[in-house]
Amino acid sequence: MIITRKALPRRTFIKGVGASLALPFLDSMVAAATPLGKSQLMNVKRLGYVFMPMGCDITRWTPSDAGGKLTELSPILNSLDPVKDNINILTNMELRNAYPGSHATSNSAFLSAARAKQTESNDYYLGTTADQIAAKAIGQDTRLPSLELAMDLQENVGQCDNGYACVYQNNLSWSSPTTPLPAEAHPRIVFERLFGEGGTEAERQAALRERASLLDSVMSEIKRLKKDLGAADSAKVDDYLDSIREVERRIQLAEASVRDNPAPDIDRPLGVPASYGDHARLMFDLQVLAMQGDICRVSTFQLARETSNRVYTEIGVTDPHHPLSHHGNDPDKIARMAKINAFHVSLFAEYLQKLDSIKEGNGTLLDHSLILYGSGMGNPNKHDHSNLPTIVAGGAAGNMKGGRHIRYDQQTPLANLHLTMLNKVGVRLDSFGDSQGVVDELLDV
Amino acid sequence: MLPEFIVPRLPRRVTVATLAGIISLCGLQVFAENLVMESPAGQLIQTYCVDCHNPDKNKGKVDLQSLVQHGHGSSPELWDDLSWILEEREMPPVDEVDLPRPSNAEYVAAIEWIKDRPDSAASELATADALPGLPVLDTYCTSCHSGPDAQSGLDMAELISTPLHQNPGTWEAIVRKMNARQMPPHGKRWPDPQSYQLTIDYLEDSLDYFASVNPNPGRTSTFRRLTRTEYRNAVQDLLGLEVDVAELLPRDEVSHGFDNITVTELTPTLLDRYISSARMIAGLAVGAPVSYPEGKTVRIKTDISQTGRMEGLPLGTRGGVMIPYNFPRAGTYDIEITLTRDRNESVEGLHEPHELEVLLNRELVETFTVVPPVKGKTYHKDVDKHLRLRTHVESGSQEIGVTFVRKPDLLLERVREPFESSFNYHRHPRTSPAVFQVSITGPFEDAGAGDSESRRRVFGKYLTADDKSDEQARQIIQRLARKAYRRPVSDGDLAPLMAFFEAGEETGGFDAGIEAALSAILVNPNFIFRIEHDPAGLAAGTAYEVSQIELASRLSFFLWGSLPDDELLSLAESGQLRNPDVLEAQVMRMLADARSSSLTELFAGQWLYLRNIDSVIPDLRLFPDFDENLRKAMRRETELLFEHVMREDKSVLELITADYTFLNERIARHYNLSGIHGDRFRKVELDEASSRGGVLRHASILSVTSYANRTSPVIRGAWILENIIGAPPPPPPPDVPNLEDVVISEDMPLRERLAAHRENPSCAGCHELMDPIGFALEAFDAVGQVRYLENGIPVDASGRVADGSTFAGVADLEEYIVKHPENFVRTMTEKLLTFGLGRGMEYYDMPAVREIVRKSSETDYQFSSLVLGVIQSQPFQQRIVQ
Repeated sequence: MIITRKALPRRTFIKGVGASLALPFLDSMVAAATPLGKSQLMNVKRLGYVFMPMGCDITRWTPSDAGGKLTELSPILNSLDPVKDNINILTNMELRNAYPGSHATSNSAFLSAARAKQTESNDYYLGTTADQIAAKAIGQDTRLPSLELAMDLQENVGQCDNGYACVYQNNLSWSSPTTPLPAEAHPRIVFERLFGEGGTEAERQAALRERASLLDSVMSEIKRLKKDLGAADSAKVDDYLDSIREVERRIQLAEASVRDNPAPDIDRPLGVPASYGDHARLMFDLQVLAMQGDICRVSTFQLARETSNRVYTEIGVTDPHHPLSHHGNDPDKIARMAKINAFHVSLFAEYLQKLDSIKEGNGTLLDHSLILYGSGMGNPNKHDHSNLPTIVAGGAAGNMKGGRHIRYDQQTPLANLHLTMLNKVGVRLDSFGDSQGVVDELLDV
Repeated sequence: MLPEFIVPRLPRRVTVATLAGIISLCGLQVFAENLVMESPAGQLIQTYCVDCHNPDKNKGKVDLQSLVQHGHGSSPELWDDLSWILEEREMPPVDEVDLPRPSNAEYVAAIEWIKDRPDSAASELATADALPGLPVLDTYCTSCHSGPDAQSGLDMAELISTPLHQNPGTWEAIVRKMNARQMPPHGKRWPDPQSYQLTIDYLEDSLDYFASVNPNPGRTSTFRRLTRTEYRNAVQDLLGLEVDVAELLPRDEVSHGFDNITVTELTPTLLDRYISSARMIAGLAVGAPVSYPEGKTVRIKTDISQTGRMEGLPLGTRGGVMIPYNFPRAGTYDIEITLTRDRNESVEGLHEPHELEVLLNRELVETFTVVPPVKGKTYHKDVDKHLRLRTHVESGSQEIGVTFVRKPDLLLERVREPFESSFNYHRHPRTSPAVFQVSITGPFEDAGAGDSESRRRVFGKYLTADDKSDEQARQIIQRLARKAYRRPVSDGDLAPLMAFFEAGEETGGFDAGIEAALSAILVNPNFIFRIEHDPAGLAAGTAYEVSQIELASRLSFFLWGSLPDDELLSLAESGQLRNPDVLEAQVMRMLADARSSSLTELFAGQWLYLRNIDSVIPDLRLFPDFDENLRKAMRRETELLFEHVMREDKSVLELITADYTFLNERIARHYNLSGIHGDRFRKVELDEASSRGGVLRHASILSVTSYANRTSPVIRGAWILENIIGAPPPPPPPDVPNLEDVVISEDMPLRERLAAHRENPSCAGCHELMDPIGFALEAFDAVGQVRYLENGIPVDASGRVADGSTFAGVADLEEYIVKHPENFVRTMTEKLLTFGLGRGMEYYDMPAVREIVRKSSETDYQFSSLVLGVIQSQPFQQRIVQ
């Protein structure tokens, strides 16, 4: 990965392939990149959501204990051993609103716990997702309210779940029931969104001013267009105006941040790493950067799309994932699928370890974060949305104790967990989706 | 060349005629009356004639009131007389000057209606007892589809006792199912084919009739943003700049099979990206100074074999890549090349010295020699370190080529037959070195804005003017804005742009002013969105013709995926575009223009799923010969067939029945065909025994409908139903079956495994339709090669349709498809219309679709007749007020 910000920069940073972070550098960066000052940062609570496609082999996932203290992990979860004390495993969660079982709803219900309106047209309707509720509350003080990331660069045509618009399957995050937020898979673009256009401070300021005046021109043109429209079209234009105001807000924050936060002299990633693992690690690294620089506090990351036919040759699995997930109970196929599941978890484990290695205030980044890892499907062979593989990681700034296996006797709404997590970062809601309560065990610190 | 087994369709217009009879059978007498009474002839008679010609007065023994009440099937002679009398304007009596007379338009409309009126022979047929009409539905459908437990909630008994025009959506769905011969289910009792067809014709004609008296052209959204491909094309046409739009904008979502449907939103992310793109593109277009060197790294796909000549590179070269790049300024740039390495970090295939050339616009800039490391002295990590140069490049779009000099002795002797592909360290390692990535960075010594195509386009005749004035700026900006907004620009449009110009000029001079105005044009909603306005004062539900300016954009985005050109826009501005002859001439001109290749890229690429080829990654143990070169060739073959049918204006049925195809050496070898050398594609005539030809035999289609390690008759069947026959399987049922109890061995033949699935009745409903059609392609494996065995068992490519038609392979399937050409042509028309309008097809569009197909059948479904039909159709020309 070749970086070209300046002809000969300090080229230390994201090393593209196998991207590892140069910690001393980051440490120095955080001081510079802190708009709020360290003292305020200490207890910042951040939310992360990592989506694993197409469920897993739950028999190799669930720890064999009866619940309570997390003693021994499982074949799929083994890579989490180094951060065992920072995670909780939840067993027997479900998404009632994802039924009837499908891939589209597995993705769409994961963060919304809402029922997707079955349509292939523009009139799609879901629900505001948990991350976006959080973004509205805790994301407003940072430059980006939320970051939506994915791994699939390519668009597929005609291969989304029958009867459902592709937006359900592609987008985890919805800022309103009718507004899916597209996720970005290209590391360079994510990088530019985090750090903006390069150059000196004066150039960045000038660039931001130009952006602001372009935005003004869009605003006045949209208002001009609005004059002779019917009610429905006029409502659409109001949506546009909301978007414009949101971009305006970001530009203002960016202007403030350029003053307080000279751009880190960072090499920008240019291409997309060839192997899945390296690409995913880079995307995780960008989330670490975003959190560490307090550029963004809420992120979602789709490890692959539902019905992905990706082949994980780097771990020796040459079957495409989706057909493999319909294993027809063939033990060999299940074993191969479990390898993919374990691979995904291992990438998450690396991410947690990175967060845990970065000091922040009296703890680590991980201590001040709350991250959900899971899937919208339980057993992919039958498209069910019960017994979902679910992990909550992080310390939520002292609000969550790890190292436990919370095993419910009965299927419990995943929405309970969403509600609990939102509560933990200070968003007070009585209910979310089909929630029936909160996860008491997590509240009990 | 059309196969002779096409049976002529039953004569049209037999069946509107049957309406009256059938209606009386169904107890819908009232409905029949209304039909005639509301017709132009009925209206005329009731207004001007019935005072004298009624049952009481009965002047001249002519009772027109009864005629109207009895419907159009009755008294054919009287209708004929009436038509003649009206044509001669003999009635109302000319000498009685006080009598009100119809206007000429009323005369004409009434005469036309009477001429098109159902013919009497058919009407007699209709009143016969053994009528092959709705009774077919009654007899063959109601045993499952009636009562409270009706299958799929469809109560046919109730439906046929309700006026047809109350349930057009349901009836269209039924017609679709019947056209595809999907109902009754396979194995149930079927009516005789003629009655079955007659029922379809009757239903279609009736639905068409109601649509004609109650027009609904549908409504495309008021705001539709350009897709990112359209954005790329628009920038190309506006500024002569080719930008890599995938780097600039997020991908578009797909609905109804196309990416130009769900394009009404403007999320903050998108807006943010539009602003970035506009600034970047405006800077490139005028050659604005850059504050620091920028760069681009192009990485060649890892699974490209670099043994032959690559696209765009000169003869006598091997491997490498041709990179189009927009150089922001004239000046010096660094070009740096890295070679591919295996997992041990050794440069692949480097066994002897090789010469590597760097070309700028096909001119040699530098030749490097790469030599293998000397053991113990030099190392692999260093062998390509010297592959860098700094050279002067002019600004604008230039092509950088990096390639090896071809060696004459490439044919290596190996123990076994060599693979076609060569990129994989383990199975078929590279036999010669390959380029891994090329980075371009600069400018280092800035030599000014230079002379680029985009600068010429932007500044036009003022490119070299010494005395730059605000008036020149105004002209430049006005010209660019008109083209970008695709309409005349007003002072209100210009004022804010001039403000940008002035602000920019103040800080950076004239060019910077133009750059600022250009970036404002590129973020303007009038550029980003296609906007269609309802005319003022029309009531909701009124259908109206879109303005000619809007029509020009509908045309250009449909056929070119881009902006209207000057000719088209001028015709629209002067109000001539709607003239039928002008419109037709424009469509033919646009189809002949090279830009219509966007129909291949955007329409065919999405309709046939060709875009998905890029994500096809077969299991390399099973298909070791697969590489990117083959992937590209597959896609090209199908594109070229489509392009051929379009350019030569062939019947679209040739997409299915072609007895020729387009091949280069790579794909010919894949097909086991000899005698085709080199990477150039050419038309190849095929003999009858050939297993190649139409799209169903193309490796592209066969691969995108397969899994990595096996074929999928389910996906292939669903693909054919969706894209060829036009009767896609319904969404999965709510009770998704539990496969838990069925452990299916991977070793069983696929056909048996799928049969096991279909034992479950809730699977069977759809899989009975998909799987048996998909089976017909089983003689092609997951990468589209002919096979005779599957897991050691002879392949069984027999399939069937519910009406009992069977086929024993792809040839029979093709024959079946062209035997009912309307299904395929209708499907293609629906797809064209979906793509052209940017919205999904609704039941009320179907009459227009059938009309296009009918007209097109007169020219044997010539490509242009379909396109023209779409453009002339009501949904394309009109819009309904919300």
